[in-house]
Amino acid sequence: MTENGNTPINVYEKYEWKHKTVVAGVEWKNPVGTASGTFQLAACRWFYDVSQMGAISTKGVSPVPWEGNPGPRTAESPAGMVNAVGLQNPGVDHYLVDELPKLKELGATVVTNVAGHSDDDYAQVVAKLADSPADMLEINVSCPNVSHGGMSVGTDPVALSRLIGHLRKLTSKPMIVKLSPNVTDIATIARAAAEAGADALSLINTLVGMRIDIRTGEPIISNRTGGVSGPAIFPIALGFVWRVRQALPDIPIIGIGGIDSGEKALEFLYAGANAVEVGAAALYDPTAPIRVARELDDLLDSRPELAAKLAAGETWR
Amino acid sequence: MPTATFTPTADVVAEATEAGYFPGRHTVEITEVTKLTDGVYRLTFRDQYIAKHARPAQFVNLFSHDPMKLLPRPFGVSEVDGDLVSVIFAVVGKGTAEFSGLTAGDHIDVLGPLGRPFNTKTASHYILVGGGLGVPPLIYTAQHLQSNDGVRTTAVFGYRNDHFADQYVSRYADATVSIDESEGNVITLLDRMEAAGELSRDGLAPVILSCGPLPMMKAVAQWASKRDIPSQLSMEQRMGCGYGTCVVCVVDTVEGRKKVCSDGPVFTAEQLGWEA
Repeated sequence: MTENGNTPINVYEKYEWKHKTVVAGVEWKNPVGTASGTFQLAACRWFYDVSQMGAISTKGVSPVPWEGNPGPRTAESPAGMVNAVGLQNPGVDHYLVDELPKLKELGATVVTNVAGHSDDDYAQVVAKLADSPADMLEINVSCPNVSHGGMSVGTDPVALSRLIGHLRKLTSKPMIVKLSPNVTDIATIARAAAEAGADALSLINTLVGMRIDIRTGEPIISNRTGGVSGPAIFPIALGFVWRVRQALPDIPIIGIGGIDSGEKALEFLYAGANAVEVGAAALYDPTAPIRVARELDDLLDSRPELAAKLAAGETWR
Repeated sequence: MPTATFTPTADVVAEATEAGYFPGRHTVEITEVTKLTDGVYRLTFRDQYIAKHARPAQFVNLFSHDPMKLLPRPFGVSEVDGDLVSVIFAVVGKGTAEFSGLTAGDHIDVLGPLGRPFNTKTASHYILVGGGLGVPPLIYTAQHLQSNDGVRTTAVFGYRNDHFADQYVSRYADATVSIDESEGNVITLLDRMEAAGELSRDGLAPVILSCGPLPMMKAVAQWASKRDIPSQLSMEQRMGCGYGTCVVCVVDTVEGRKKVCSDGPVFTAEQLGWEA
């Protein structure tokens, strides 16, 4: 045991996973993925074997390269951080010849996160990915840091239903809709996505927040507000997953928010998630995703009923 | 007590390196914390891996013990002695205040070395132009270049008041000149060097390596550009991860927005569009 009570795990050794999960028909080696926006292959591959993750959800891709917001883009907050990157990415064409083939060559299960400023943007990206080797698509209708698209779609059930219905016709790949917590009633939004053709839901994206520099009286980050992530949002995220599971008993759910240990991942699974993703923890501990996966794999040994449900594509609740 | 839920031990770090991985966040022992001047401290820790691999302008992430403060604090490596690694930092908030209160025998979590180093393979005279808390990585640059017989280094440092880093850089640089705000700035020193014919060496143009406040570095880049002297600038920006995955620490370049942590921190004046 370490000083803080965790059993040391060597994340670099070769390892056979004991407990898999199935999300919308896609088998994950284990129930832990990386959360979109916190994973870049070129950076993370030096720290662990990325193909060992349950899935890799890549940074949102847009139809053309986006330069994102000017700096500063981040501010620390208690047990978390506020970020406003603005979905900087090199565009879907670059993704299709660079990160995606590299990830598939390594043997990773890939969830491609799709970003857009308009319905047409999303449609262009989804159409280009339809015949790609991506295993799943994740529609990002919840980014709080872009002026059009993103959260403005994911907080309006009518706009969301129209977008997902349109995208559904363009792809047969399993389509995950990533939900925003910045809504009055998450169940209404979740139901709109499901009825329009979403195969699964991932939640939560970040919560809108800010920090102010008291020397200047001005917001620290250039976008003024940003998305709050990190352990601070864990109980909030868990509450959202619980509410969506209560409202929609059958749709696969990927739980995201403040996970930095196998125990926290387990709480999401008991709340009714099929799988989880580790996000902000990777920013302060590069091996956190693989460590959480290993910790959870051991925790599931003594929970055979839960492990069996996950392996069968079912959930605890 | 380190707050990481898992920190690879020394043998696991060795195994990671052996397996071709870069060792993740791990816990090291602090051997010394010294106050250099008001609010400025030098912290030394034992880390074989970082000591062996650090290059000039690379930095290390240090982590607070406070679970409320999760993001790393990045500091340029200022000196390496055997398996000891030093950084110099100013107390600017609660995280750095915590580091300043640590003592020999305490432990701290680190990640590194990170970032792309200065290119030190192109010239025979490097002028290391630093300002304030930008000088520590230039101390290590001088140390690193000291082993290279054919290379001369001149440290040109500007301070607000106390010349706190001269004692360290003068161990390694062939010449050290410094100035504080009562007399002028680093441009004053560069002008003096030029007037005394001390810029070029053996008829070869020098290269300027610089780290300091943004206005200083811009002035240095333009001063150099007017004289056709290449300059490399080590940039600073609010960072998240420090290793290239979160894409928050961007700087605008002529090639678009680049990450200071992993595309930099070193950029050329041309990349930044800072030519005169």
